[in-house]
Parts: sequence; C-alpha cells; structure tokens
Amino acid sequence: MSLENFASSRALSLGVELELQLVSTHDYDLVSSAEDLLREMARKDVPGEVKPEMTCSMIEVSTGICSDYARVAEELEALRAALTDAARKLNIGICGGGTHAFQDWGERRIFDKPRFHYLSDLYGYLAKQFTVFGQHVHIGCPGPDAALYLLHGMSRYIPHLIALSASSPYVQGKDTGFQSARLNSVFAFPLSGRAPFVETWQDFEAYFNKMSDTGVVQSMKDFYWDIRPKPEYGTIEVRVMDTPLTVGRAAAIAAYIQAIARYLMIERPIRLSEDDYLVYTFNRFQACRFGFSGNYVHPETHEHRSVAEEIEDSFARIEQHAIELGCDGPLGELLRQVREGRNDAAWLRERHTGGESLPEVVMDQCGRWMGGDAM
Amino acid sequence: MDLLIWPDWPLALGALFPVAIALVLTALVGEAGGRFGLPRVSGYALAGLVLGPLVLGWFDANDLAGHRLVIDFTIALVLFELGIRLDLRWLAANRWVVATSAGEIALTFALTFGTLWAVGTGTGIALAVAAIAVGTSPVILMHVTNELRAAGQTTDRLLALCALNAAVSVILLKLLVGALHGVHSGWQLALLHPLYLLIGSVLAGAIIAAAYLGLRKLVDPATEQGLAAMIALLLAAIALLSALRLPTVLAPLFAGALIKWRDPRPHLWPQQFGSLGGVLVIVTFMLAGAAVTAGELFAGAGVGILAIVARAAGKLGGAVAFGPPSGLDLRKSVALGLALLPLSALALLQAVDVRLLYPEFGDRLMPIVIAMTVVLGLLGPIATRRALIHVRETRRGETS
Repeated sequence: MSLENFASSRALSLGVELELQLVSTHDYDLVSSAEDLLREMARKDVPGEVKPEMTCSMIEVSTGICSDYARVAEELEALRAALTDAARKLNIGICGGGTHAFQDWGERRIFDKPRFHYLSDLYGYLAKQFTVFGQHVHIGCPGPDAALYLLHGMSRYIPHLIALSASSPYVQGKDTGFQSARLNSVFAFPLSGRAPFVETWQDFEAYFNKMSDTGVVQSMKDFYWDIRPKPEYGTIEVRVMDTPLTVGRAAAIAAYIQAIARYLMIERPIRLSEDDYLVYTFNRFQACRFGFSGNYVHPETHEHRSVAEEIEDSFARIEQHAIELGCDGPLGELLRQVREGRNDAAWLRERHTGGESLPEVVMDQCGRWMGGDAM
Repeated sequence: MDLLIWPDWPLALGALFPVAIALVLTALVGEAGGRFGLPRVSGYALAGLVLGPLVLGWFDANDLAGHRLVIDFTIALVLFELGIRLDLRWLAANRWVVATSAGEIALTFALTFGTLWAVGTGTGIALAVAAIAVGTSPVILMHVTNELRAAGQTTDRLLALCALNAAVSVILLKLLVGALHGVHSGWQLALLHPLYLLIGSVLAGAIIAAAYLGLRKLVDPATEQGLAAMIALLLAAIALLSALRLPTVLAPLFAGALIKWRDPRPHLWPQQFGSLGGVLVIVTFMLAGAAVTAGELFAGAGVGILAIVARAAGKLGGAVAFGPPSGLDLRKSVALGLALLPLSALALLQAVDVRLLYPEFGDRLMPIVIAMTVVLGLLGPIATRRALIHVRETRRGETS
C-alpha cells in the first residue's frame, strides 16, 4: 500500500483529541462502559466526535478543525458538559490522567471492532497494557515539506510538552517515580519513537515505501511516533502529551503548540540536522522522569539546563505569536504554573501522599474533569 | 486405671464434628461447581439441599431456628454492602432507573398474583407469594457479581434493582399478611404499622450510618480491628431491631445507602471482609437447605413452577420495557431481567417468619415458597452468571 497524498489544510489550523478514562463510581476502577456512553452521546448534538478506543473503558473525543484557542476551548467545554451529563445518567465517572492509578491491565477488554482485535492479536498483552490516555494535537500545514520542517522543529519541544501535560505518576497501584509513566507503555511498541530524519516529502515517501516493502507497515497508522505526519488531514500530529486532568489545561497546551508552530513556520529559526536527535531520547526521558526539574540538553549548544528554564525561554520566543493568535492569556497561566513547579502529576502525588487512597484520588480526578475546573 | 484419660469407644464427637463435615462438603460442592463453570452459590445451595431433610437429614427446621442469628447476620451484612452500592444521587439523576424498578416490581407482583389467583390458591396465598416473588436474592447477586468482579451498566442496575425490590418485598409481605389476619383492626393501625416499619427502619438506618461514619474516623475499616468494630456495629443493630420489632434487613440496607449519600468516597471495606463473608454465605446456604422437606417440595412444585414462570415474565417485562430509556440497549435489558431471577434464603426466611406467626396460613404458603427457592436458588445464579458474561461485564473468570 502506498502513502496517500498530503492533503491541503489551512496553515496553523488546530484539532485536539483526548483519550479519557471511564471509571465506576463504586470502586473507581476502570469500567467497561464505552459502548453505553457512546450510545448516549450519539443522541446529543455536540461539536467534534466521540469515538471508541482500544479497550472498553476508554473513549476518545476530538474537536473539529479549529482556528484558535478560543474555539478549541469552547468545543472541548461543550464535549465535557455533554459527556458529564451522559456519565451522570449512567453512574460512571470520567477523568483525565495519562494512566489509571490502580487498574489491573489483565482485566481489560478489547473494544469490539476489527482494527482493535487485529491490534490485540498482533501485540498480545501490549494491547491491553496500552490502556493509557493521551492528548493528540493536530496542526495544519500549508504543504508536505513545511510539515516535515515543523515536525523536526517541534521535536525540540517534546520535553516541554511532556512536563506540562504529565499526569501519570501511578501505574498498577504503585508510584513509578515518573511524572509521565504513560510514555513507557508507548516505548514498548516496535514502531514507536521518532520519525526518520528526512526533510522532503519525496524522501519521506521513499522511506515509507521501503518500510512498506518489508511488510512491516501497511499505513501511517502503524507508526507510533511522538510526532507523525497525517497526510490525509494535511497535518502533523503531536502525540506525547498525557491527557491533562482538565479540558482547560488541554486547550492551553494545544494553544502552546499552535504558538510554537507559528513561530517555527514564520521565523524558520532552526537549521535542521540529524544530530538534533542525538539528545532526543535523553531529553525525553528526563522530562518523563523529573518533569520541570528534568535535565534538558540543547541540541546545538549542548548546554545543560532544566526543562523549566527551557520552557520559560520558549515563552519569551513565542510571545508575539501567542498575542497574534489570541492565546497569550492561557499561556500566561501555564507559565505561572511552570514557575511554581505545578503540573497534574504533582497534584496527584500531593493527594496520595496527603493520605488519600488511590480510589479516592481517582474520585477527585473525576471531580476535576467533570466539574470543568480551571487548569 | 483411670478411664477418663482414655477415649471412649465409639468416639463421642458431639455435635461439632458433623457440622464441620457438612461445612467442608458444602464448600467442596461449590468448588466442584466452580470447576464446571457454574456459580459457586449454586453448589452451596445444592449441598444444603442434600444435607437437609430432603436427602441426608443432617439438619432440620430446629437447626435453622437455632442458627437463625448467623443467617440474619449474613443477610444484614450483605444488605449493608448492597446499600453502599445503591447510589441515591444516581437514582435522582436517572429517574428511568427508578421507573425500571417500579415497573419490574409492579409487573412481577401483578403477574404472580394473577396467575396464582387464577389457579385457585386463594387470594391470601396469592398475595403473599406475589409479595415474596417481588424480591431478588441479595446474597446470590452479591456473591455472583463478586465472583466475576462484574462491573458495568447491567451490574449497576442489577444491584440497585435488587436493593429496591428486596426492601419492597419485605414491607409488602408484612403489610399484606398483617392485613389479611386482621392485625390492623381499624384504619389507624393499618396506616400506622406501615409507617412504623418504614420510618422506624429509616431512623434505625440513619443511626447505623452515623455510627459507621463515626467509627470510620477512629479505625480504618480495612484493618482487623476496624472489621471487628463494623461487625459489632451490625450485631448491635440486629439486637436493637429485633427488640423494636423492625425487620432486620431494611435498616442495614438504608444505612448503606445513607452512608454512600453522606460520604461518596469509595467504601471498600466489604472487600477486605470478603473471606469472612464468604464463609458466612457458605454456612447460610448449608443451613437454608434444612427448611426443605420432600413432602412440602413436591406439594408446592406445581404452583411454585407457575409462580416462577409468572415472576420471570414480570422481571423480564419490566427490564425490557424500562431498560432502554434508562440507557441500556435491548440485549443488556434482557440480561438484566434474567439476572434478577435468583430467589433464596431471604425469601425462605420471610415464609418461615410468616409461619411462626400464623401456622395454618404458613403451612399453605411454605410449600410454594420452598419450591420456588429450590429451583431459583439452584438455577437463578446460573442465569445471573450467564447474563453478566453475555453482556461482557465481568472482569474475572470466563469470557464470552
């Protein structure tokens, strides 16, 4: 199967996908209620889409194509309100967070859909262990070569995005010590990691065809890269974020990505090089493990600084673009939290170390997401 | 030689030894059933029947009366746990669940009464059987759902409906039987007694709930001292309720629901209590078979089977009629109706209590109830289990 053509899309248009957890309000463990919730949602008039995901205790919601932060925030808020309404009727909780704190992966069920069964047969227990919850952000690109420039340029900001969104310190009932343990589940897949360093769509097609000839992949869907081109939409898709605990934070993170994209596309500040990726996995690990206080090695200068300092600098670089895009407000709030060292992982740990049991923490997570709390 | 230091021959083992053997046999039959993919409670119920007057005769009605406290305590404990699963906020948010409950209760009562009345059991017996038929066995449902770690829309509704129909069944039977025997001479009493049962149970439930929430501040219910405190609380409640002539099953149920209402945090201590509760359930089924004699079973079989069919139609009809607007699809609605079928110790004890007060009426009621509980105690759990597996709401064990 060959790669489809890169569709045209409006530059810097924005789409957000959130994978969400469905939990029982009795024990706050994951519960297989996706089918019932989707049936309820089918009757409601909401923007975007609500779709099944790999296992029956998760769903994915997505906005339509949005032009700016305000629109994303509005659509996510409408989806949240409708989902909350349906969830109350069905007596289930919905929450954000990159992992469920104490679920037993062996108890998960694969959603009844051919693609999910295919993946489950192929990957075996990895498919069930993949009950993790991420935020994906699509950015519209004027053309395929611009998309590849944006993809490689955005790669430098992966640690920033991980630290800002991290919300998965607990896995299988234990504190992993990581701020985003979710990405460790993603690494287990053979085709995860980063896209190959190619700068033109022609070269990318050649790479895809070679991979396709090996029989290893059939379509772009088989790549689980941190950022991947999505030719059918004409976008690049940033996939490293944990689902934040509130839709407000999800919208703010999408706005941050949009502002970085505008900065990269208009200023073209980086000369791309394969060597940029020498520090990539190190930086990524540091952000997953330590969040804001992780170590960030600059790909060009090789200077070591904290992720928080890097984020602070990035805000200065993109400020003008944020103002142009009308998202300086929410980005200001994000920056304030970076300075205070606050993210969702810290919020979760505070609760558990403060004496709450993990089921109680999940209950509070539901309260935050369903209540539409501020980020 | 001092004879007292040597054992007598044959050995004088006393009453304890047969009880121990019976207990292990019951557990083993349950285990054997589990190996064949049957719910363990079905095995326990079968063992109870074999040990009782029906086959071996190790236990009889006197044993049942003598160990009544154990069974009452087990049922109270199960209903307390069931009450905690009954989330009143949900019932307020989704009125269709309440409608489903009202629908299945009304339909079950009407169909069972109509069928029995039509075959000429007499109005009194038809009403009493119908009232008992309204309930679903909480012990069986909790056991089967725990065994499968079931969770989901069908399971949530199943447990909520069971809590509600068990409560209605207990109240209904007291009222009807009382009314039939002229206990309520004059309308004041006819009005006061139901009010006393209901308000008294709610108040008692509120006291238990307050005591539980107070205790929870002092001890962690997941620890052994916490468990001891909770058991003591329920024992005290049973003593108090008996003294007040209130049913021992309603107040624990109300208490559980009030606790969840006041404090929506997850209340998971019953899972810690799992092993103790499991043993109590085995003992309950082992003893429940003592009420079943061959004569009564066969005397009631014909009418009992008619009542079972009518009751099943009522449960299924109510679930299918009101399930879809409450957010279930048709497949899950049918599963819900079938899963509601079990009938067991609680129904049997209701009939036993009626017979204590009104022996002549009880003698006519008992055979029908015995036939129903024998069939639905054995087959009901299988229906529940298959239904939950079919709708893929199990987190453990067999998959469909």
